[in-house]
Amino acid sequence: MVREATDKVDVNPFVPFPATLSRVVDLTPDVKLFTLELDNPEDEFDYKPGQFGFVSAYGSGEAPFGLTSVAYRKEGLHFAIRRVGTVTNSLHQLEPGAKVGVRGPFGNFFPMDDYKGKRIMIIGGGIGFAPLRPVITTVLDNRKDYAEVVIINGARTPQDLCFAAEFDDWAKAPNTKIELTVDAADENWKGRVALIPDVVADLKPSPENTIAVICGPPIMIRFTLQGLKKLGFGDDQIVTTLEGKMKCGLGKCFRCNVGEKYVCRDGPVFTFEQISGFIEQF
Amino acid sequence: MTKTLSKNELESWLANILKERTLVAPRRVDDLTLFLPVHSTDEIAFDCSNTDLSPKDWFFPRTEALFTAEHKDDDIEITPAVIEQETVIFGIRPCDAKGIAILDGPYLGDPADSLWAQHRAKTTMIGLSCSTPAPQCFCTSMGGAPYDSSSVDILLTEVDDGYAVETVTEKGETLIQGVELKESDVSGSVPSCDAQVPAEGIAEAVKKAFDDPYWGRLADRCLHCNMCAYVCPTCYCFDIRDRTEGGKIERLRTWESCQSKGFTKIAGGHDPRADKGSRLRQRFCHKLLYFPEQFGPLGCVGCGRCVVSCPVNIDIREIISDIQELGAKVGEGSN
Repeated sequence: MVREATDKVDVNPFVPFPATLSRVVDLTPDVKLFTLELDNPEDEFDYKPGQFGFVSAYGSGEAPFGLTSVAYRKEGLHFAIRRVGTVTNSLHQLEPGAKVGVRGPFGNFFPMDDYKGKRIMIIGGGIGFAPLRPVITTVLDNRKDYAEVVIINGARTPQDLCFAAEFDDWAKAPNTKIELTVDAADENWKGRVALIPDVVADLKPSPENTIAVICGPPIMIRFTLQGLKKLGFGDDQIVTTLEGKMKCGLGKCFRCNVGEKYVCRDGPVFTFEQISGFIEQF
Repeated sequence: MTKTLSKNELESWLANILKERTLVAPRRVDDLTLFLPVHSTDEIAFDCSNTDLSPKDWFFPRTEALFTAEHKDDDIEITPAVIEQETVIFGIRPCDAKGIAILDGPYLGDPADSLWAQHRAKTTMIGLSCSTPAPQCFCTSMGGAPYDSSSVDILLTEVDDGYAVETVTEKGETLIQGVELKESDVSGSVPSCDAQVPAEGIAEAVKKAFDDPYWGRLADRCLHCNMCAYVCPTCYCFDIRDRTEGGKIERLRTWESCQSKGFTKIAGGHDPRADKGSRLRQRFCHKLLYFPEQFGPLGCVGCGRCVVSCPVNIDIREIISDIQELGAKVGEGSN
């Protein structure tokens, strides 16, 4: 059990890569899209859809966020961050040019190659839609590799829908549908007023050759999962990205475990077949 | 023949160590015995049983800066923490040393925790066998022994007129260099720890009893005071937060406990372990199921500190027995 400690002292895995905020865009009243550029070109940060990183607002702390960009576009690291706590409040006060830190990438990823040739349902609620954006980008950038794409994006109100600026482009992409829904409409809203599970029930997607990727609040995931299973989806056809309170991302702080699995290292991407096999059920 | 050292020789050896390194040893402070730096060997509590707090502080301090950050012009300058101080811990018990050694599993696993690795590299442990294990001790049930030398650098065992010396590692060899040891024919009883806690096969039993209402009932009386995690040599969960003082930012790692309310609460407000039952279960599942699955040994060394410290008598020895019974019942039921 005793390992040699002396040769493992060089790199401190808690020290973030230095980075600069290059762009900050309002996505909703409480969500901003941050673009980070690494300051040192030699720092390696190659990532895949579904992976996440910790962003540091020095003095306030750091927190984990899903990457919403794709590495191959080389547009910097994008994080869609909702203002909810100490770190996110500090990040929201920063302007382009501010120095921040980033650690990662961490976790596993959506196996995009396995989805090739399949129809993909991309179902996201609120800020939970953010980690699904790189899935959409990857599919639309490689459109012929995948079958039909159905995007369902829901939020509390029309103003809370993330990535609204991109909806038109997604809708215009070949063989791509987008369904938007809100819990509560305003006077300008002409779309659906329904909960996401109800939209799924209404669309009645066939499970044939289909993968459903879901992310959102726990209650939305639970009922969407039930709805998909009623339509005949198998647990191995439904994929989610789990959220867990975490501090290190390295499998050390033992805060994000669900039973014997770490969200940070074994996840965050799991099929419901995997999740239903966990000893602990959240 | 055994290598031995008299009590006087031991004291002068420790006095020499003191001149060059930090010497940490059990010291009495008010009504507590704690591992603290000593300035003279007179301060060492040679005759103490298990200390009130474990020595994990010296490898995993309750608060430690991972790095510091400072605004310099338009940039941020980061200085990673470096452990320079060479430390010798005297009087560490075999169970506590094993507690440190098994944490190499999570901490030195890829990527290695550089601070843990530095503390390990800079610290030499002089262990002391337990000649009279305390009533709450159950190390032998957890795969240890009162004279287990496997996790220390040097092990001393009390004999008739001094200590038998077993040098275990190269680090120990270096530390004891120049100390003249006698070759003696020692007598004295081999210490024993007679507690019988049925830990054999406990991981399987925990799995079977996972969904039992037992955990909720047990947790009814838990005050989530976190004392168990505080005194435990193998509890290693942590929190990370920033502290700013005079323009200098420290990113601090601090002890945290899975018994704390909100330990798993996520940003949206959802807490998957909001009830005390699932939090208490987490503590025991981590030690008895998840830790051995991931790293091999059980995540408990049988030091008995949580047994004496818990204000509501939640007793891991009883829990292990109860879970074995429950597991056996569930096993019968499924046949």
